[in-house]
Amino acid sequence: MSGPSGTIVSAGGLSLPPRAGRRSRWRSRGSLFLLVLHGRPSFALGYVIVTAVMTCAILAPWIAPYDPVTANPDVYLSPPGFSHWLGTDNTGMDILSRILFAPRTDLTIAVLGTALSAMVGIPLGAIVGYYEGRSLARRTFSVLVMRAADVLQAFPVFVFAIALVAVFGQSIISVVVAIAFVNIPIYLRLMRSQVLSIRGMRYVDAAFVAGSSDFAILRRHILPNAIAAALAQLSVNIGWSVLLTAGLSFVGAGVVAPTPEWGSMIATGYQNVTTGQWWPSVFPGVALGLTVFGFALIGNSIEVMADPAQLRLVGRAGKGG
Amino acid sequence: MALARYILRRLAFVLPQLVGILMVSFFLVKLIPGDPAVLMLGPNATPDAIDGLRRALGLDQSLIRQFAVYIGHVFHGDLGTSWQSTRPVVSDLIERFPATLELVTLGLSLALLIGIPLGIAAARAGRGPLRKIGEAYGLLAGAIPDFWLALVLIYVFYSTLHVAPAPLGRLDIALVAPPFVTGSLILDSLLAGDLQALGSALAHLVLPVATLGFINAGPILKMTQSTVGRILASDFIRYAEMCGLPRRVVMRQAIRAALPSIVTIVSVLYGFLIGGAVLVEIVFSWGGAGQYAVQGVLNADINPVLGFVVFSAIFSLIVYLCVDLAYFLLDPRTRG
Repeated sequence: MSGPSGTIVSAGGLSLPPRAGRRSRWRSRGSLFLLVLHGRPSFALGYVIVTAVMTCAILAPWIAPYDPVTANPDVYLSPPGFSHWLGTDNTGMDILSRILFAPRTDLTIAVLGTALSAMVGIPLGAIVGYYEGRSLARRTFSVLVMRAADVLQAFPVFVFAIALVAVFGQSIISVVVAIAFVNIPIYLRLMRSQVLSIRGMRYVDAAFVAGSSDFAILRRHILPNAIAAALAQLSVNIGWSVLLTAGLSFVGAGVVAPTPEWGSMIATGYQNVTTGQWWPSVFPGVALGLTVFGFALIGNSIEVMADPAQLRLVGRAGKGG
Repeated sequence: MALARYILRRLAFVLPQLVGILMVSFFLVKLIPGDPAVLMLGPNATPDAIDGLRRALGLDQSLIRQFAVYIGHVFHGDLGTSWQSTRPVVSDLIERFPATLELVTLGLSLALLIGIPLGIAAARAGRGPLRKIGEAYGLLAGAIPDFWLALVLIYVFYSTLHVAPAPLGRLDIALVAPPFVTGSLILDSLLAGDLQALGSALAHLVLPVATLGFINAGPILKMTQSTVGRILASDFIRYAEMCGLPRRVVMRQAIRAALPSIVTIVSVLYGFLIGGAVLVEIVFSWGGAGQYAVQGVLNADINPVLGFVVFSAIFSLIVYLCVDLAYFLLDPRTRG
């Protein structure tokens, strides 16, 4: 797990010895990671939660006590007890098993959607930021892209996402596309503002004078220095996408019922809550909230590791100062 | 004078944006599979009847022509007819939008009441426990799904404690709604002097407003905490402190300087919630505009969706104009 943190730190410009060998650089990244966790123990909780959720997703077929999509009408709506630890829902499916299987759907959608939006948004934002204020054609291109982003962001997010799912037909891929779509402007803006500030740096001018092409300058000199903020956003965004997926499924525009998914599970239990059977809705919500919480904590920790000023504060706290 | 120019410049940006929004939503919703003519007439319709209706609705024209016609209608205040309710979308929305607005406004007010004091306290506390509480609250409020929180509140206060009314709309079913004036049940029942309806409307508002307030206090708290914290560490506050000004006066200065960014986050949240409160609306069967739009999307009913987008875009436009006015009053630098 020190991998992602490490890349960000070096990109964030933390002073590493310039000629440090590969091994010692990795070691310093690892120790930095431990230092941050030591200074802010709550961050460790984030990594624990996310690891646990991922483990559940992978091991679900072996650790789940029941089949997640087999309904047993004999035991519908039975409260939490010995045979069904978290109870059963109104069709008699075991809630614990479904909760364990759910991250397979939720995390897949959220991770794919976020990755897709980052893959489109980051390069596009870098190009837009780099081209801004250059020749007329390029300037027009960047203005057009930014206005398009304005339009996308002016939409009511949720209605937009539902409309996208409706257009592409109800499937997991549509949900992924919808999530990617509504997230693209975030990365676009982040990268653009970063690149705009880096573009004026001397080393960019130097690369230009040395005859590097625009593409080479972007890829080798600007991107590595601008990407930290966007990467820190990734983790928070995955959590947010899980929430959005669950919301879409809750209104019936996302994952359809028998597939284990937290949002649709909450929706299934929705009618029962008013009559007093709380477990079909409450437990999936707790799992969902915990997962999002974990990703938000990881996002915060990455932010701290990428920001030398905050890192100093944490370091001091870690030494008991 | 400077203010007028400021607002005009904003409007010049907003109008093309509005057309862009309309364009995207129009073509997007047009892509939704499902022929309204078939859906309206049902499975037993003759092909002739379907063709006639398609012609009557203008569905046989090219998409670009349909869009041009639509834009023309929108600027005349005609948003088309919803085939589900068979009523003009404008009157449907005028009925429902105030319901959403009332809910969102009260929810956001509650969020401000929670978020700002907590944020200021957390910023003042330095590294104390209050700061930790502030951070934890921000993370928690960002992680909890609002529709789930709404269900939990319903379970606790309606199913178990029996103190909240049933989550079935904005008013007791037995009561007659006060005559429609503003659309806000609180204002309308006050205008009609109907205290029973007022009480019922308020009781129905408590849980959804609490849900929205709790969740949305998170971003407000974060913004307040970081902005006030940054300002408290700035030179002019240090100077004020060194001059020996009382803590209270210094804090007032700091909060004053933090107001523009708080206004920004509130305006963003306001615009977001008009569509974002839809999950809470559904849980409480609120019958608001967001719920109306979602039903439209799910049933290939195009006009309500477009109408909702137009309404919320205009609403955001008004909010942003108010924000600009607020900046103008709060931040002397914009008056230059």
